[in-house]
Amino acid sequence: MTTPAARSTPLAETAGPGESPPSHELTDLSVMIGGQGGDGTLTVSDLLGRYFRKRGLYVYTSRNVLSRIRGGHADASVRASRDPVAAVKSRVDVLVAFDNEAIEMGKVELEPHGFVIYDSTTFRVDLPNSVGFPFATLVGGPLGQPIFKNTAAYGALSVLLGFDADQTRSVIEERFKRRGGEALEKNLKALEIGRRAALAAGGVANRFSVAPGEAHDMILTTGNQAVALGFVVGGGRFFAGYPITPATEIMEYLQRYLPAFEGVVRQAEDELAAINMIIGASYAGARVMTSTSGPGLSLMTEGIGHAATAEIPVVVADCQRVGPSTGQPTRHEQSDLSHLANLGHGEYPRFILSPSTPEDCFELTVEALNLAEKWRVPVILLLDQALCQNTSTSSRFDLSKVHIDRGKRLTATAVAALQQYKIYELTEDGVSAVAPPGTPGVWSEVTGNEHDEWGHVSVNPANRVRQMKKRMEKMVKARDDLPPARVFGPPDAKVGFIGFGGTSGPILEAVRMLETRGVPARYLQARTVYPVPVHEIDPFLKTVDVAYVVEHNYTGQLARLLRETMPWHHAKLRSILKYDGSTFRAPQILANVKEAA
Amino acid sequence: MVQSAKPVSPIWCPGCGDFGVLAAMKRAAANLKIPTHELVLVGGIGCSGSIHNFLEINGLHALHGRLLAQAVGVKLANPALTVVAAGGDGDGYAIGMGHFMHAFKKNASILYIVMNNETYGLTKGQASPTSQIGFEGNVEPPFHSILTALSIPAPNFIARTFSGDPKAMTSILEEALRFNREGRGFAFVEDLSPCVTYNDTYKLWREKVLDVATLPDYDPTDRKVMFRLCLETTEEGRIPIGVMHRPKEAAHDGLELKLVGGRNGPVRTDISVGTNLPAYQKLLASLA
Repeated sequence: MTTPAARSTPLAETAGPGESPPSHELTDLSVMIGGQGGDGTLTVSDLLGRYFRKRGLYVYTSRNVLSRIRGGHADASVRASRDPVAAVKSRVDVLVAFDNEAIEMGKVELEPHGFVIYDSTTFRVDLPNSVGFPFATLVGGPLGQPIFKNTAAYGALSVLLGFDADQTRSVIEERFKRRGGEALEKNLKALEIGRRAALAAGGVANRFSVAPGEAHDMILTTGNQAVALGFVVGGGRFFAGYPITPATEIMEYLQRYLPAFEGVVRQAEDELAAINMIIGASYAGARVMTSTSGPGLSLMTEGIGHAATAEIPVVVADCQRVGPSTGQPTRHEQSDLSHLANLGHGEYPRFILSPSTPEDCFELTVEALNLAEKWRVPVILLLDQALCQNTSTSSRFDLSKVHIDRGKRLTATAVAALQQYKIYELTEDGVSAVAPPGTPGVWSEVTGNEHDEWGHVSVNPANRVRQMKKRMEKMVKARDDLPPARVFGPPDAKVGFIGFGGTSGPILEAVRMLETRGVPARYLQARTVYPVPVHEIDPFLKTVDVAYVVEHNYTGQLARLLRETMPWHHAKLRSILKYDGSTFRAPQILANVKEAA
Repeated sequence: MVQSAKPVSPIWCPGCGDFGVLAAMKRAAANLKIPTHELVLVGGIGCSGSIHNFLEINGLHALHGRLLAQAVGVKLANPALTVVAAGGDGDGYAIGMGHFMHAFKKNASILYIVMNNETYGLTKGQASPTSQIGFEGNVEPPFHSILTALSIPAPNFIARTFSGDPKAMTSILEEALRFNREGRGFAFVEDLSPCVTYNDTYKLWREKVLDVATLPDYDPTDRKVMFRLCLETTEEGRIPIGVMHRPKEAAHDGLELKLVGGRNGPVRTDISVGTNLPAYQKLLASLA
């Protein structure tokens, strides 16, 4: 049943069966691309994502890669839908395979109407609705290297899925223009080779196209890029980090962006240095951030406690991955929440913010910088692998909403009017006014030791109580300043969901699916997860009969925090958990919802 | 005049070598006329690390071993500040060793003073990385900071002083601070600072110190020569002191932003959205 394109066949522009229009239209399409690391599967996924975005569709791409540079199986998936989706689709419509493993993995998820294309250079597939193209051989001759086989596969798909030819080409131009002349030229040739091969070959009986959507003027980006942009626009000018998956791209983007704004990005010798460098820079008066994942967070914990006690503002982006230890570096989990809520030895305040989309990442990064400086409290941006690295369609980031609040930062003029400059002065809201070092006429002592208002080390019991209260009460006093939750769904729905971060995409999809089954449901997306926003979640829980807390960990960490802070809702809370390293798909959530049956 | 934090009395034992560093720091800063508000001292954890409490200065009391990372952060964020990091041998050469090695590589224009007393004084006399074999059961050979520093090929200023000779120390600290303030890179000064309570080495060290400048081959611009001189002197049972490396390079062009061409650096640049709007719009427009 496989029909590899014969190399001797002249690849004419006309007369191929592939040119006939696809038989029907889908409104929600999923393409899975798999191959060996280095085969360029992520590039195919990126190209398809860009194309679908241009067609006004909502796009979500995800990847399943191993922690190695080359070799080993890697796959990616692209979903394009007319509805706003931010989750992997449960089934695959099109499978693009560069190795046999992709076939083995993908065929179980393939829809009955789906089809497979594969690189027949090295292997054969015996599945109905599969067609082989010797992509590596086809590009290897004219372009000198087989690596362009991925772009050729994109070209073949563009024909089989009835893509607009001009937009297919402009995606290649966009993607490779930064790499310059030769890369662009060869990829354009590879595109053409793939297109001609598909035009010439027959054999795929079930073909379909995707209806264009109405989501125009959107962007396609990752949480990591959004965090980096939020940092720049929020006035962040000093970043130190240490490479770690899945957080590294934040540092890489900032290495590109920050120098133009007089910012500094340093790659430190370890996470201990990274957190302490930003502490130093923040003390000096810069807006700062570091980003890391579980193992790095463990090392940074020392510094975060110091920053909290010394009242030096810091923002730490934690891109959660499977832990503990090295765990699964490239895989998804949300298992740092309990650690973060109880971070460190001793007791100190911290705010934990949890965005759920790229746009939310952008906004909450700005907010994190504001909150850290305003309250002089460490702020954690709680992210997860899916949110950090998967791309999804997002509204354009709105600069008019960006507001910079530096809190009680003292100018030289304000300082001159003071009688005394006490860096830990006791105040109504617990926040002391601070002038960065270098401000004429004043100097200060800043320390992680317990201190008096002047910053002098103190073991006086009454002073200890005063300074502890000053710091700890910020968690209460800042309540109305912290990012509010978002609630979706009708207010009279009796089935509730609670979640955070990258899990919001599949939860919202599950809520929509329930709605079509006649079961109205509501979803509360917590954007501040610590201190637990009891004032938001308690009223929400009062409106529902049952609330499913959906999260990626073994112990139900968010549910535990909710039970701890709102024991009176204990009976209403049910956990839906996943800790296999992959993200929820909406039907997997529904399978655990009794009311869905 | 606004009242700022006032220095407190040193917690050190009478006769502690750290008093020598305190006095020399005061004199060096005064001689160079560094305004108090522009001077930052990042202290480590241990007796010596509390030195910032005893000076009229911007004091930043860091975590144990992390003072260099914090000091580099301060300097890179605001290169107009004069930044000194000061701590002990345990802080710098044990828990802080990773940051110590990288400070030479990073080459930020800060001064790092290690008060080496070959013991953990504050926790009452345990062996430290520089302790001699036999001290409090120590079986490990002492760490040699100067040989290590000389082995890292970066244009750093490297010197060793002795608290028994505060005059020489003042002049070396002055030179190191000038080196920093000219933006030429990292300056490392190890001071031999006896702990009179747990490791009173005044008499021994006074006999053993040898100013390398008095040796016939002395050439602090030649790393090779200085490494050999320090190694030989040490092997002969003497303690080399003096300026060990004075790099030939005219100016360091490394990490920190030069205060030229209108650049302000992370702290002093204007971060308002209004000012940056066209550049921000351009940045966001680059998204696909």
